[in-house]
Amino acid sequence: MADDFFRDETVLENLREREKELNCLYKIDEILSNHQLSPAETFEAVVRIMPSGWRFPDLCRVKLIFNGVSYQTTGFVSSPISELCDIRVGSKAVGNIEVVYTQVVPISKEGYFLEKESKLIHTIAERIGQTAVYRQMRSVMDAWELSRPQSEFSSGQSEWEVIVNFLLITDQKVLLRICRKLINHLLLNGITEASEILSESKPFSAGQGEHVNFPTTKEPLEDVPAICEKTFTFARKHLSGEEITLNVKNWIQEERAYSLIKAINSVPPSLRNIIEQIKRYRKIVPDEEQRYSPQERWISVSLINLILSGGPEFVNVAKQYISHRDFFDIVDRIIIPIHSQGTLGGKGSGLFLAQKILEKESANYPILKSVRVPKTWYVVTDAITEFLQYNNLEELNEQKYKELQESRIEYPGIIQLIKNSVMPPEIVKSLSVVLDDIGEVPIIVRSSSKLEDHSGSTFSGKYKSLFLSNRGSKQKRLEALQDAVLEVYASVFSPDPIQYRMERGLLDVHEEMGILIQEVVGNVVGRYFFPLFAGVAFSNNEYRWSPRIRREDGLIRMTAGLGTRAVDRLSDDFSILISPGQPGIRVNVVPEEIRRYAPRKIDLINLETDELETADLREVLRECGEQIPEVEKMVSLYERDNLLNKSRFDINFSRDDLVVTFEGIISGTETVRQIATILQVLSEKTGMPVDIEFASDGKNLFLLQSRPQSFSEENAPAPIPRDIPEKDILFSANKYVGNGVIENISHIVYVDPDGYNRIGNLDDLKAIGKAVGRLNAKLPKRQFALIGPGRWGSRGDIRLGVNVTYADICNTSILIEVARSRTGYMPELSFGTHFFQDLVEAGIFYLPLYPDEGNIFNEAFFTKSENKLPALLPEFKHLEDVVRVISVPETTFGRVMSILMNAELEEAVGVLSSEVAERRPARRKPRYDEQIRDESAWRWRYHMAERMASLLDAAQYGVKAVYMIGSTKNGTAGPSSDIDLLIHFEGTESQKADLKRWLDGWSQALSEVNYLKTGYSVDGILDVHFLTDEDIGSKDSFAIRIESPTDPAYRLKLLGE
Amino acid sequence: MSKGNYNAFEHAQAQFDKVAEIIGLDAATRELLRQPIREYHFAIPVKMDDGTVKVFRGYRMQHNDARGPAKGGIRFHPLETVDTIRALSMWMTWKCAVVDIPLGGGKGGVICDPHNLSDREQEQVCRGFVRQLSTNIGPNRDVPAPDVMTSGKHMLWMMDEYEALTGARYPGVITGKPVGMGGSLGRTEATGYGVIYVLREALVQLGIDITKTTAAFQGFGNVSQYAAQLYQKLGGTIQAVSCWDNTDQTSYTFRKAAGLDVDFLFSITDSFGSLDKEKAKANGIEILPGEAWLEQEVDILVPAALENQITADNVGKIKDSVKVIIEGANGPTAPEADKVLNERGVFVIPDFLANAGGVTCSYFEQVQCNMNYFWEKDEVMEKLDTKMTSAFLAVYELSVNKKLTMRDSAYVISINRVAQAVKSRGWV
Repeated sequence: MADDFFRDETVLENLREREKELNCLYKIDEILSNHQLSPAETFEAVVRIMPSGWRFPDLCRVKLIFNGVSYQTTGFVSSPISELCDIRVGSKAVGNIEVVYTQVVPISKEGYFLEKESKLIHTIAERIGQTAVYRQMRSVMDAWELSRPQSEFSSGQSEWEVIVNFLLITDQKVLLRICRKLINHLLLNGITEASEILSESKPFSAGQGEHVNFPTTKEPLEDVPAICEKTFTFARKHLSGEEITLNVKNWIQEERAYSLIKAINSVPPSLRNIIEQIKRYRKIVPDEEQRYSPQERWISVSLINLILSGGPEFVNVAKQYISHRDFFDIVDRIIIPIHSQGTLGGKGSGLFLAQKILEKESANYPILKSVRVPKTWYVVTDAITEFLQYNNLEELNEQKYKELQESRIEYPGIIQLIKNSVMPPEIVKSLSVVLDDIGEVPIIVRSSSKLEDHSGSTFSGKYKSLFLSNRGSKQKRLEALQDAVLEVYASVFSPDPIQYRMERGLLDVHEEMGILIQEVVGNVVGRYFFPLFAGVAFSNNEYRWSPRIRREDGLIRMTAGLGTRAVDRLSDDFSILISPGQPGIRVNVVPEEIRRYAPRKIDLINLETDELETADLREVLRECGEQIPEVEKMVSLYERDNLLNKSRFDINFSRDDLVVTFEGIISGTETVRQIATILQVLSEKTGMPVDIEFASDGKNLFLLQSRPQSFSEENAPAPIPRDIPEKDILFSANKYVGNGVIENISHIVYVDPDGYNRIGNLDDLKAIGKAVGRLNAKLPKRQFALIGPGRWGSRGDIRLGVNVTYADICNTSILIEVARSRTGYMPELSFGTHFFQDLVEAGIFYLPLYPDEGNIFNEAFFTKSENKLPALLPEFKHLEDVVRVISVPETTFGRVMSILMNAELEEAVGVLSSEVAERRPARRKPRYDEQIRDESAWRWRYHMAERMASLLDAAQYGVKAVYMIGSTKNGTAGPSSDIDLLIHFEGTESQKADLKRWLDGWSQALSEVNYLKTGYSVDGILDVHFLTDEDIGSKDSFAIRIESPTDPAYRLKLLGE
Repeated sequence: MSKGNYNAFEHAQAQFDKVAEIIGLDAATRELLRQPIREYHFAIPVKMDDGTVKVFRGYRMQHNDARGPAKGGIRFHPLETVDTIRALSMWMTWKCAVVDIPLGGGKGGVICDPHNLSDREQEQVCRGFVRQLSTNIGPNRDVPAPDVMTSGKHMLWMMDEYEALTGARYPGVITGKPVGMGGSLGRTEATGYGVIYVLREALVQLGIDITKTTAAFQGFGNVSQYAAQLYQKLGGTIQAVSCWDNTDQTSYTFRKAAGLDVDFLFSITDSFGSLDKEKAKANGIEILPGEAWLEQEVDILVPAALENQITADNVGKIKDSVKVIIEGANGPTAPEADKVLNERGVFVIPDFLANAGGVTCSYFEQVQCNMNYFWEKDEVMEKLDTKMTSAFLAVYELSVNKKLTMRDSAYVISINRVAQAVKSRGWV
């Protein structure tokens, strides 16, 4: 074939022919599927168009005979150069098509007619046949529908007879199956005589009377008219005409799905075939939903299983909301390789289900009617398998079984390898169609893997999502899209998701990567593209800022521009937080506070550079605020002490101090209620709390993603054992509890409520805050707890709580407020409001304690344990009655405190746990500045520090001693920790320079090894502090560590020691 | 450590007693001025969003209105106490008297946490507050203003309720309203500019040419930004500005010997009042530790950020070049440090004189509302200048004549003015 292609005179010629044929077929398909046309109109149009598909349209004439009626192009004459093809309905010929050339045409080596042209005429004949069947069936149904009112009075016999007679002519196979169903129906109705037909008629008698364990004999097909005659005669005796008609009608309806069912049932199922059959099926089913039918239910559920997900939980919910009809819309937007057995993947299926739930529930909740889902295309999960095969890259599948270290080294190479591979041409073609359909609007290419987004394993942030500006020439856009898809494919082999799967026992489960190609919601604003707002919302609010907010009131994190900023906690910016169940209760209420915690940056697509970038929100507003649709709903104007919501005519974008508050959206639109309803409906219908992503262009709210709300690793509800000995419990709580586990708390800073209350002068009260700030800088980060009376961060009347700012507490792991009624008043706790958003972004927990409400509170432990304050901060010794620093391991023979919090139970406990090693397996997601407390991380560091010291020539470098301090020494170092060393140095400047170089080499090498082991890239792992004799004499801040009572430095053995 | 609860009111009374002793005030006047002249304690029932009713406690203390209608903020705080409000109302009396504006002192509060209240509920608290007090406040009786956790929007609700009850428009019943709704222009700059008007007069008195001076500012917030702006405009050289860095959770000093340009600093400030370190460095600005602002070889220090910044510990680090310290913030100098500075002959201008520009502007807002005629910004600033200048000169003159520190002189002058008023009225 390929040879012919090139041997022919011109390639171009061939291509033109091909194009003609396709055009012709396309037009004919269009005519046949137009149900508005009468048969005569249809056939006339067909003969008119057909010549355009042949080599010499001007000389080509067509005649079509159907049911004895003939249609032909003007000037048709019989000719020796002719080709004829029968039109069949079922197995019966009902007409034919003839194509002729009216005069001699140049002969090709295939003959007067090309091979392709012969195929074309056959295809057209076949399509006409199929259409005839569908149309006739339809007209029968319609006739039946019309005659129904009378049928109650008339016998109704004529109706089913019409159908049966028609089938007898058109499709005996269908009739045979209907007979079988009729017999079964009779048997079910207790008319046992029906079995006689079975025994008499061979096609049905298979197995009758034979041994069950013996293979049935295959018998030849019998005469269908005879069986039909017998069956219906029999049925007439026992059933009313109406009943027969009704059943026959239903069975015919079911017959339409026959090829779809065949496709679903084929082994192995071919997704492409199923999709083709759905496309065909959707043309012939009636528009309205019919009453319950087991067959339709079976088709629906099968399609859910095959196309979406086979997970029983998913199917159970999905089957209530997704019928086979719902697939009609998306089948045109699924990209499938030839032999695919893939699905849409987790994200794709989740979003599709959510969309369908919201569509159906909008009848009950009209507010949902305007919620949209962006135009989405799907690349099925196993396209990646096809891709790997096509490029002979199957070996990559082994990647997951390699040492993490190895796969980390190889990963950059893999990305390049994949990006330089070729997409199968078929997929490239489909992607090209996608681009034509979407047009030049920005798109996002998102992962939708099989394992992703199922309850308990959300893979959030593990696989890639890539924004494309999708502008420029088609070629450029297509390349960018392919590149993005390949990059998402590459992320399957990234060590991070592999590690994630390993930790969750999902490594051996086969992972495949589907892709979602979604239009990005937003507007072109100047040289940028971004939505007015976007964000995430959760059914359960794990960050309650007021006792009035219930957990089920939910949480929205909203930000300007692309939602990328709302998804993760930010270290240097804030999102707007709203509890959709209590939208009136806001985190920040004072204008200054609102301004302070307002979003200051925006993620957007820069249409000039075609890149996703983070821009300064104020600058964007200044540059193109005027052009942002509905901008007045996004910003408020800040005037000293006042935040004003102004109309856009009153805003001067170049001059005014604008703060993003979304006040106009929150109180002026139904957006918050919409999101609240989405959360409520989805969690109610799926039976679990959900986590959604949304965006808005200012006009409509779009749902971008929906999945079960999983607990981020640090916010999972902690199991609280019931058998903790009471002596090990330091405190318990039963109100306003969040979720989480904090382990390895080595120090407790306890500000004694009674002591604090006794302080008589303002300076001492202020000094307490200072002491806390100093301890914050001194104690091991995230390994101490702050426990104090009333409101941490009180500013006005500081008797009510310790006067600290966020900087004074930013290293704690948890902030605990104690409300004691016996100190005269029951303080209303702050819930951390003074720095609530800071706490959220830093992942610092908050817990209120009510010791006088029947909770455990081991006061003696807090007030009687040895107080380390004088040793740590001699200058604050006078406060030792009030501020108590407890080293838990020293007080409890090496134990540490853990705090277990469970919001579901509204319970929390602080317990003494015996060993670091008793922890649950390390599962926590690393925070920006925090580490997984991984045993191996510190052991390795400890060993390397000892090893390095043992190679250090003290005399050569002028070193007197080397000490280790900090997390490595304490066995708490994580993958991002430093190794802190104190070097007692007495050499010359040049020795010092040499020593620094020597250490620097070690530092770089160790940090490289650390990266390979853990994926944490640290710039130099050694943190070295030099001390001189003088420093030690004057007890500078590091020198005191050498003989510190709390956390003494550990002396390392040097070379030769 | 002394025993017993710290009590703000007792503290304020002790401070008053000390000055009363200096002036030699008679017992009856002392007794009258040691406490509020009127106190209102009341309940505000509010129907909450969920249909329940919650009863809030509200207070308004009028410490003294002999010199004119009481003036002072309304605070929303969950742990508000009667004594705190009493102390603050007394403080307002002195503050108005020192700048010689015809107003007395007052303060109010509601025990509530707006973080737990929706906007509608807060509105009900505001309206309820005014309903309980409508006959006891008013443009000629007592004029509230925003304070802790209250803002212009609360003031407008209160004004509206007052006007609804009295049946006429009285924008002068309350201050702190947005411009266009009865607010005054110039409020943003008022405190900062006031600081520099006072500084300018002080330099004149000390015989120093402002254009030849250098200064270091602590903070770059509401007060400091505008103080620095005016100081530069008058020809002074800003050598250092310290400010809080929200990312690093610490403060830094930004220094440029040749002088920092305020407009440039404005352009690199974010909504936290943090300056962008990178952009500053690129501009040739040195970044030093937060405390370094205090150690600069400058003529003037302007602590305008937090209280308790100049302490016994760091007062020694202040260079001999420093001639004037003007307190833009409340209470930036600890008493021990104050003593040291006095001994060293540094001219310290006390906070409640230096930063009285804010309350003066509130007074202007009230005046403009009462005559229903609003001034242009220039006019506001001009009148502010006049007021601050004469207030300073009065305190300065007294300090010279009676050999008092500026701080003591300011207290003496204000308490004396109030004492004179109550006597003139024949109250005592």
